Amino acid sequence: MSGSVRLEGLSVSYGGTRRRNAGASGAAPVLDAIELEFANGSFTALLGPSGCGKSTVLNTVAGFVRPTAGRVTVAGTPVDGPGPDRGMVFQHYALFPWRTARGNVEFALKRLGLSRPERRRRALAALAEVGLAEGAEKHPAQLSGGMRQRVALARALAAEPEVLLMDEPFGALDALTRTRMQELLRELWQRTGTTVLFVTHDIDEALALADRVVVLGGSPGRVLADHALPAGPPDPDLRTLIARQLGSP
Amino acid sequence: MYATLSPPGRAGRIPGRLGPALVAAGSVLALWYVLARSGVVALGLLPTPRQTFAALADGARGGTLATDLAASLARAGQGFALGAALGGALGFATGYLPRLSAAVTPLVSFLRPIPAIALVPLATAWFGIGESAKRLLIAYAVLLAVWLYVHDGVSRVPVTHLRAARSLGAPLRRRFTEVLLPAAAPALLAALRYGASVALLALVAAELGGADSGLAYRLQVDGQFLRVDRMFAGLLVLGLLGVGVDAALAAIGRRFVHWSAS
Repeated sequence: MSGSVRLEGLSVSYGGTRRRNAGASGAAPVLDAIELEFANGSFTALLGPSGCGKSTVLNTVAGFVRPTAGRVTVAGTPVDGPGPDRGMVFQHYALFPWRTARGNVEFALKRLGLSRPERRRRALAALAEVGLAEGAEKHPAQLSGGMRQRVALARALAAEPEVLLMDEPFGALDALTRTRMQELLRELWQRTGTTVLFVTHDIDEALALADRVVVLGGSPGRVLADHALPAGPPDPDLRTLIARQLGSP
Repeated sequence: MYATLSPPGRAGRIPGRLGPALVAAGSVLALWYVLARSGVVALGLLPTPRQTFAALADGARGGTLATDLAASLARAGQGFALGAALGGALGFATGYLPRLSAAVTPLVSFLRPIPAIALVPLATAWFGIGESAKRLLIAYAVLLAVWLYVHDGVSRVPVTHLRAARSLGAPLRRRFTEVLLPAAAPALLAALRYGASVALLALVAAELGGADSGLAYRLQVDGQFLRVDRMFAGLLVLGLLGVGVDAALAAIGRRFVHWSAS
């Protein structure tokens, strides 16, 4: 179970020692005692309205944010800071604008100590995987939003992470590009067997992509519902149910 | 309209800007000539362009121009190098570490509004009228200027860039050289250009405070003899020096910061 993720009584507060959100009462709780387990190779959508703390869940698993209580374990090992076993795809790509698409992917490969030609070969292969063999020598500014997110996906996967964390990665894309990217992601997930945690506020995206949907909500954020999705086309009754759960306080 | 209509290539833009600049320079030259010849300004206080260029040629032949230029460039260059290195390092440190910034920023905010020229008497009292006093004064002024720009640039580096680098397993050294440094490079370039202009300002302040050679020293001497033609020539050299240094830094910067739109 190399890519299993457990959230054990996970609570996060901003404020206190941190600069932002420091209200008069001091620390503002964002997540309250979350208990969740994601099996190795599963694809889970974390669904919730903005401000419910779903991105904070992701940032805690990534190691960017430290829990105030509880802990996160990946393959049984407690998370202590970011690491290449957990890849992250950001909403706004976070590509390095001074590097080409290939250069961005090579950044992820550098730590493996490969020879230059081998690194180049692997980067080009990773870009071909996401359908971007043509744009390898272009800089991010020369690429469309969808192409940039393909590069970001290739870069994250090139590091061969056990867990792929995605923070509303297709939120800034138009509807058509978005659907194509969703198909690509499903394909890549089936090929690599990576555990995927996918944050979104879009019910249809969650239903189209994941095999499990966790509904988060409230303030501080907690788990409102947890649905295993049956194989096959999305169930309209389930969609109605989740929509109602999302609307509830 | 020029900027938006012309293609982004450099070749198309430079002549587009050079044209209007040449027209403006020509107009100023003509106005200057007319004013100097008309006698509106008291006779002998405004040299004609021709007299100015003659004074410039005179200085170039006599060797004083070369001596002064060398002395000034050495001071400004050494002061700039020291100030830019320290200011850049400090800017990276405070831009990256918010706590250090909270400690240092109020101090720097207090020091920044004090013009370099106001520090000349103090620098003279502490370090005498030798070269090191001048270099330190220039370095100090450049340090504050470069620190401000670099600090601002580094603190604006998107947090997701650094996070992405960490989750891709890049250690601190690579995060600095391969992420923070290139991400802050446009700001660093702006800092160096601004710092160079500040170095020339501080140079003048330092030389007016006591020197035996240099462009501003020569201006002061010529002023005592009311040699307006030589003073105009000296100002012309100072102006051209500033433009030249800035253009050189901008050209070097464009080679390194090729991805930045600004």
